[in-house]
Amino acid sequence: MTTRQEWIRYLGLGGLVLICLGLLGLAAWQLVQLERQMRIDATENMIWVFGQAQIEAMNLALALSDEMPPQQIQTRFDVLLSRLTLLEEGPQRRFLENAGISETLAGWRSGLLALDPMQGADPAALRAHVTALVAALRGKASLVMSYEWQIQAERLDRLGRLHRLALVSVLGAALAGLGLAAILIDRERRLMRGRLDRLRAEKLAGDLERERETSENNRRFADLIAHQLRTPLAVIDSAMHRLTRRGGPVSPELVSEKVAVSREAVARLVKLTDTALMMSRLERDAVLPHLSAHDLRDLVTSVIDDLVVTAQDRDPSRIRQQAQAAPMVALCDPALTGEILSNLFCNALLYSPLDCRVDVEVSQSPTHIVCRVEDRGRGMSAEEIARAFDRFYRGSGHETLPGSGLGLTLARHLARMQGGEVSLMPRAGGGLAAALYLPREVSA
Amino acid sequence: MILRHRIARIALIAALLLSSMPAVAESVLLTLTGAVTDGRVDLTRADFDAMDWHELATSTSVTDHQPEFRGVLMRDILARAGAEGSHVRATALNDYVVDIPIEDFHRFDVLAALYMDGVPLTPRDKGPVWIVYPRDDHSVLADIRYDMRWVWQLVALHVQ
Repeated sequence: MTTRQEWIRYLGLGGLVLICLGLLGLAAWQLVQLERQMRIDATENMIWVFGQAQIEAMNLALALSDEMPPQQIQTRFDVLLSRLTLLEEGPQRRFLENAGISETLAGWRSGLLALDPMQGADPAALRAHVTALVAALRGKASLVMSYEWQIQAERLDRLGRLHRLALVSVLGAALAGLGLAAILIDRERRLMRGRLDRLRAEKLAGDLERERETSENNRRFADLIAHQLRTPLAVIDSAMHRLTRRGGPVSPELVSEKVAVSREAVARLVKLTDTALMMSRLERDAVLPHLSAHDLRDLVTSVIDDLVVTAQDRDPSRIRQQAQAAPMVALCDPALTGEILSNLFCNALLYSPLDCRVDVEVSQSPTHIVCRVEDRGRGMSAEEIARAFDRFYRGSGHETLPGSGLGLTLARHLARMQGGEVSLMPRAGGGLAAALYLPREVSA
Repeated sequence: MILRHRIARIALIAALLLSSMPAVAESVLLTLTGAVTDGRVDLTRADFDAMDWHELATSTSVTDHQPEFRGVLMRDILARAGAEGSHVRATALNDYVVDIPIEDFHRFDVLAALYMDGVPLTPRDKGPVWIVYPRDDHSVLADIRYDMRWVWQLVALHVQ
C-alpha cells in the first residue's frame, strides 16, 4: 500500500471519528436545550391569571349591585385592583402586549383608582365602570386563551424539532460509528491475516532449515559409515590376503591370529550396524521403553561380562566394579540400559591407556540410581563436553579411533526416554567421569 | 339627594377612620386554625413585630427584577401558634387555596413577607402577607410546583 493511500485511510478514519463525536455532542446539546425548555413557568398560566381578574371584576360588580357592607365592597375592590396591578407587571404586561391586548386594558386600573370607595367615590359611577370592565375583560379572555395556546403549540413545535434533530444526530453518529467499526474490523482482519502469513513463512523457513540439517546429517552419516565400514573391511581383506598368499605353508598360529583379527573386525561392523539401526528406529519413534524394576549392579556386571567377549583388544578386565552391598533398584528398560552402559564402558576403555583402570560405581540419591564410570585418559575440556552429545561429534585427536560419533547421542537419548540422564564431567585427578542417572523404583 | 350623599359619605369616612384608628395595631393580619394553640390564633401586626424579621432578595415568577422582601419566617409563625401537623391549607383574600407541606418551611427559609422593596404590601397589591420562597438560592424551587405555593394576599392558615 502506498503512503498516499495510507494517508487517505487515516484521514477517512479521523473524519469518521470527528463526525461521530460531533454528532453526539450536537445531540447532547439539543437534549440540554430540550430539558431547559421543558420547564413550565407560572407566566404560562395567563388564562388563569386573566380569568381571575375577570372573576374579581364580576365579584365587585355583584357586591355593588347587592349593596353589600362597605367593608366587603372594599375587599373586593382591593382584590380586583391587585389583579389589574398584576396584569401590569413585567412578564404579564409583556404577554398582553404580545397578544395585542395591553393597549385596550391600559386606563382601566387608573379609572378604578379614581373611583375608590374609601375616598368616598360615587358607587353608581363605580358600578358603571366595573360593568364596563367586566364586558371588556370578557371580550379579551378568548384572545388571551388563543394566544396562550398559540405559545404552547409553538413551544411544542420547538421541542418536537429539537427532539427530531437530536434523533437524527444520534442516528448519524450511529452510522458513523458503524462505519468506524467496519473499518476497524477490516483493519484487524488484515493484521490477523498478515500475522498468519508471517507465522506460516516462519514455519516454512524452519521446516526448510530442519530439512537441510537432516540432509546434512544424512550425508555426514553416510560418509562416516563408509569410513567406519572401510577400516574393518580393510583389516579382513588384509588377513585374507596374508592367508592366501602364495608361498610357504600357513602355520596354524597365523591362521588363528588372522581369524581373531577378522572376527574382531566383523564384531565392530556388527556393532556399527546395530548403532545405525537403533538410531534409525529412534528417529522413527519405533522404540518404546518397557520399564520395570532392575538392580543396576546386576546390569553392570552382565554388560562387563559381554564386553570381555566382544572387546578383547581394549582389555575389559581393566574395569573395576566397586562392591556395593545394598540393592540399587532402578525403574528402567534392561535392554536400553545395557546399550547405554555398554557405550559408556566402551568409551572409557577406548579413550584411556591400556594400563590404566576404569572405575565403575553404582550409588543412589534420594530420587535416582547413579552409575558413574571414571577413566584415566586425557579427559575433555569444558567446550568438548558441551559438544560431546551432538551428533557425529568426535573428540579432537580421536578422528582415527573407531566410532560413529553417535554413541553418546544415542546414550543420552535412551536415558531420557527412561526418565533419566547421561552427563559428563572431568574426573578429579585427570580423565573423564560419565554418569548415568535412572529414576529409583519407588516400592509401595 | 346631594346632601344625603354627602352625609352618607362623611359618615362612611368617619366610620372608616374610627374603625381604622385602633385597627392599625389591632387588626388581624393572619388567622391560624386547626392544630394550633386553642384551635385558633389571630396574629396582629404587633405579634409580627414581636418576632424576628428577616430580609430576602429573590426573583419571582410574576415580576421582572429581584425585589427585596422583608418579613418573618413561616416556621417562626407556626412555632408561635404552636402548630402541629404536616400541612397548612393557605387561603388568600381572593379565595385562592393551596396546601403546603410544613416540611417546606424547615427545608427552606420561607418568608411571610410584609414589605417588598421597603413598601408595605397592601391588599391592593399582594398584601397583607405574601409567602415568599428563596427561589434563587435553591434551583429546585424554580418550578411550577413551588410557584403555586407563593400565596399572596394571605389571610388564613389551616394547620392539619
